[in-house]
Amino acid sequence: METYLFYILAVVTVIGTILAITEKHPVHAIVYLVTSFFSLATIFYLLAAPLVAMFEVIIYAGAVMVLFMFVIMMLDLGRSDEARRPELKQWILPIILAGIILTSIGTIATGYAAAPHASGSLTIRDFAETLFRKYGVAVELVSMQLLFAVVGALYLGRKAKS
Amino acid sequence: MIVPLAHVLVLAAVLFGLGLVCTLVWRSNVIMLLIGIEIMLNAAMLVFVGGSNHWGVADGQVFALIIMAMTSAEVSLALALVVYLHRRKNTVNVDEFRELKD
Amino acid sequence: MKLYLELIILLPLLGGIVNLLLGGRLLPRRLTELLACAVIWGSFAATLGAAASYTAPVTVELGSWLAAFDFKAPFTLYLDPLSLSLCLMITFVCGLIHIYAVGYMKDDPSFVRFFALLNLFVAAMLVLILAENLPLLYLGWEGVGFCSYALIGFWYRKPENATAGRKAFIVTRIGDIGLGIAIVWMFQLFGSVSITKLNSMGYLMPIGVITALGLLMLLAAMGKSAQVPLMVWLPDAMAGPTPVSAQIHAATMVTAGVYLLMRMFPLIGVSPTVTAAIAITGALTAFYGATCALVQRDLKRILAYSTISQIGYMMLGVGAGAITASTFHLLEHAFFKALLFLGAGCVITAMHHEQDIFRMGGLRRTIPGTFWPFLAGAVCLAGVPLTGGFFSKDGILGAVWLKGGGFYGTLYFVGLITAFITAVYAIRMVLIVFAGEVPLNHSLSKGEGKPLPRIMEWSLIPLAVLGVFGGLLNLPEYLGSGVLNSFLSQPGSHEGMLPHATELLLQGVAAVVAVAGISTAWFRYGGDRRQQRLALESAPARGISAFLMEGWRVDALYDFMFVRPYKWLSSILWQWVDEGCIDDTLDRTAALFGRFGHWIGARGDGRVSRSLIGMAAGAALMIGWLAWVML
Repeated sequence: METYLFYILAVVTVIGTILAITEKHPVHAIVYLVTSFFSLATIFYLLAAPLVAMFEVIIYAGAVMVLFMFVIMMLDLGRSDEARRPELKQWILPIILAGIILTSIGTIATGYAAAPHASGSLTIRDFAETLFRKYGVAVELVSMQLLFAVVGALYLGRKAKS
Repeated sequence: MIVPLAHVLVLAAVLFGLGLVCTLVWRSNVIMLLIGIEIMLNAAMLVFVGGSNHWGVADGQVFALIIMAMTSAEVSLALALVVYLHRRKNTVNVDEFRELKD
Repeated sequence: MKLYLELIILLPLLGGIVNLLLGGRLLPRRLTELLACAVIWGSFAATLGAAASYTAPVTVELGSWLAAFDFKAPFTLYLDPLSLSLCLMITFVCGLIHIYAVGYMKDDPSFVRFFALLNLFVAAMLVLILAENLPLLYLGWEGVGFCSYALIGFWYRKPENATAGRKAFIVTRIGDIGLGIAIVWMFQLFGSVSITKLNSMGYLMPIGVITALGLLMLLAAMGKSAQVPLMVWLPDAMAGPTPVSAQIHAATMVTAGVYLLMRMFPLIGVSPTVTAAIAITGALTAFYGATCALVQRDLKRILAYSTISQIGYMMLGVGAGAITASTFHLLEHAFFKALLFLGAGCVITAMHHEQDIFRMGGLRRTIPGTFWPFLAGAVCLAGVPLTGGFFSKDGILGAVWLKGGGFYGTLYFVGLITAFITAVYAIRMVLIVFAGEVPLNHSLSKGEGKPLPRIMEWSLIPLAVLGVFGGLLNLPEYLGSGVLNSFLSQPGSHEGMLPHATELLLQGVAAVVAVAGISTAWFRYGGDRRQQRLALESAPARGISAFLMEGWRVDALYDFMFVRPYKWLSSILWQWVDEGCIDDTLDRTAALFGRFGHWIGARGDGRVSRSLIGMAAGAALMIGWLAWVML
């Protein structure tokens, strides 16, 4: 059951992403992307990471995408008459490159004899202990980084002196 | 484990490729470029979570979380930059910003 | 008892904090002044209460302060005769000085800062005196150091005042290093920082270690008490307001070093090297201070050098093992030196902030209310027989004589010569300032003397009485037992007693020396000879007197020995090592990368999309190669 669910969700994710990147209208692209992220969050849930799934929904699908939407609206990029999809020939080179990477990774991933995985399920307690015991310093660093980002964003976003 | 690790990795690779295509193609819109980066980062998170699930250690999930935090910082700064550049040049076309060359 | 001890320290602290927080804006000026004086007198009353209920040495723990593993330094106070008598003296003298300061600072706008610092200083000093363990003592030690720094530079708008404050701070810090090392080392050796415990554990350690500890503490005392070779800060410290000079740099803080040595004497006194070092430091300093005071022209500098000299006597007494005599001299000195400084403050105020004694004269008639107390202080300082200063100084000299031997015998003679010089300069100061006529060009001669606040002259009188009759506190053995002597002598202490005949003989010698000094001064400056002497000495000093005037040129020597090499080294490090090597290396590396970047940049076209494509192509190449290898 869960296996089927995974494949269904994987298909949904990929289709959502493809639609998002080919959509000429940024606002629509965001909406497709949110769909894709929701199904990705469910995949995280299936992969025994409920907390990451929650954060995916809250932060990615929620905050980050809303931020994108907000900037699009603020800069008034959402008008459909100006939106223009890149020409077809521009797609060729990127797709070739991505195809190379994709096949390479696929070859490596399938040709790789996966080590037997450990038994036992991951609980949120394990997650929390790893986060705050083992990677406490990283948490501190990330918090500093967020602070710097706030300062930087404020600096960049202020009104130019007139 | 509900699916083999390889399948998760392939899904991540597909997402990564799509994100890369998005980044490379949308040179006329810096916002779409950023969205491509987000997709690639999500693919990376998927790899971490899948690995974490595969080996039964929580480190991967922790890194997924740290990626998420880093992304929010990056997005806020990047969008602030977009706003700033748009204010200066009134465009979001990536190739218009070429001052670094001079 | 616990309540009394708490009050002694907390009242000044409270006064200081309240003044600091509320003064100026919320409290009217009168109230600030009243509060500042009231807390000190309250503290004095508490000390009296403690003295009245005192029976035996007590230790009171008020709370925990520092505690980590087996290191414990709680807020523990220790009251024994030594600390009790010092507390009485400090609260009393500081109380009078506070009252005096109300008059002195009448026109100063930043009185709040002044009184708050003065109160905080008293609190820190009392912590120092009453501390039972060394870290707490160190807290008080640094507290008084900070207040002293802030008060020397009180009028900080003049750069030389701020410099004097910094100098005092830095020089005393050199000594404090000794104390800090000694405390940590003692904890490492004995596992305790309690003074009472340490004093009873000295026998555990070899004599060499005790000697080293003693020398470290002597270093601390040198810094705090302005002893040779760290005495250079005290004359400059006179930049502060006069009440500060009286309170901090004459009566209380500078005696802290002597107090430390007295406190730790049971521990460090067993090493003959340490006592000899203390004694020789004291004798040298006494001689140094007296000779410098002989030629100074600035009234407050005379008193500063005289303070250095008198503290040298106390150190000499400690070095001779005469703790009681030293304590007696410490108390006596606090009285008469505070009196002299306050009197000098009156003189300076009356002369419109003129400090050069050669421009004074005839003040005997202008301000008699200052003259008589000042004269009393000067005769105490000169050691005129039957004044307090005579008995206390004689006690120290007698103790040195008692130690006997060539070394202490020499020190005794140095002490005698110093006593002679002391008498000369004390009387010289009085004669030049108060005798003769008012200089013609001065406003006082036109009858425009600034009226002194009555309160300033009144506060001199109790000090004068105590100074002159302070001898009654500790009469020599042949006149009946001294109060202080029997109070201070702890059971088991073995301070030797002179035979009465010898003591009388020594006092006779001291009296003859004092009288000889006074006569010398009189023959040089008395009567009509004053004017021509003044005319002679007003010329810029030359030769030996210039040497003495500049304090044996020690400042210049230190400048040559330490300050200039330090500056030279810093400039080398700054201009050559930092700017020349490190900065230059970095600059050139950066320039190299910059040029390389420009070279690369000239080859691109600056489009972000091209770069992205290139990056993706590179990534594809690498991953593809990896896959190729793995297959």
